[in-house]
Amino acid sequence: MTTAANLLHPAPSAGRIPGNKAMWVGIFCEVTEFALMFAVYFVARAHHPEVFAAGPARLSLLAGTGYTLMLLTSGWCVAHAVHAMRASRQQACLRWLTGALLFGLGYPVIKLIEVRWNLAHGLDGSAGIFVVTYYYLTFNHLIHVFWGLLGLGWVMLRTGTGSYSADDHVGLEAFACYWHTTDIIWLMIFPLFYLLP
Amino acid sequence: MSETRKLDLTWLALVLLSVVGAGLGGTADDRFGVSVLVALVMAVKLRLVCDNFLELRTATPRIRRLMYAFTHGMPLLVILSSAFGGTLARLTGALVL
Repeated sequence: MTTAANLLHPAPSAGRIPGNKAMWVGIFCEVTEFALMFAVYFVARAHHPEVFAAGPARLSLLAGTGYTLMLLTSGWCVAHAVHAMRASRQQACLRWLTGALLFGLGYPVIKLIEVRWNLAHGLDGSAGIFVVTYYYLTFNHLIHVFWGLLGLGWVMLRTGTGSYSADDHVGLEAFACYWHTTDIIWLMIFPLFYLLP
Repeated sequence: MSETRKLDLTWLALVLLSVVGAGLGGTADDRFGVSVLVALVMAVKLRLVCDNFLELRTATPRIRRLMYAFTHGMPLLVILSSAFGGTLARLTGALVL
């Protein structure tokens, strides 16, 4: 059935704008914002190489890996939701979006646990430039995840009320683009702070 | 291969790369070598998300090029900053108090 549906609703043709223009303006604002923050990271790292090399050992690798797996799995669910909508499978789309929400909520839950762990290990705002840069970037990312979760709630509502169809689901695609970009930025932050020696 | 099957394999590859990549953390015997490996794993993961989740291959060239510049540039910066950190520190000396 899925194969037949894919034949009826094939992948979009080349040269299109995924989602809509407005979302891509927002996405490139987000990308620019994080590019500037990454510049701050690299300059700080260049000036304090030993501090940054010792940094990952101070953080919880388990938490960092946990965020990564939650976001990747949530993104996978969103990608499936878009494909389900293209195949006119609204209920399946809603189920995938529910999965995306559950895994997406795993991110702030892990953040709460990690911050408590950090503070218990003396990693607060006075713990040096590595920790300050880490909080600066990761809390900014957390804010973007919150926007994404709010957007996810909105597209779930729209899907549940039958507002999207196989022919018209631009809003769902636009949200998917934002969510995947937020995922992409995390895939950059994770190795910078949790892995790079 | 169906599109949904491709999504599943992409997700599986991303999870495996994340778990294997996490194993690179804390191995600091050869800092530059580890940095290159970390950057490569990052590059592969970013490309997988861009192509198979974000569907950049079918996107208009302007969006595709800008996003590829960002996602390819970052792993490159990781390698360059590891190789030429001292030079970057000298060039940006005036920015740091």
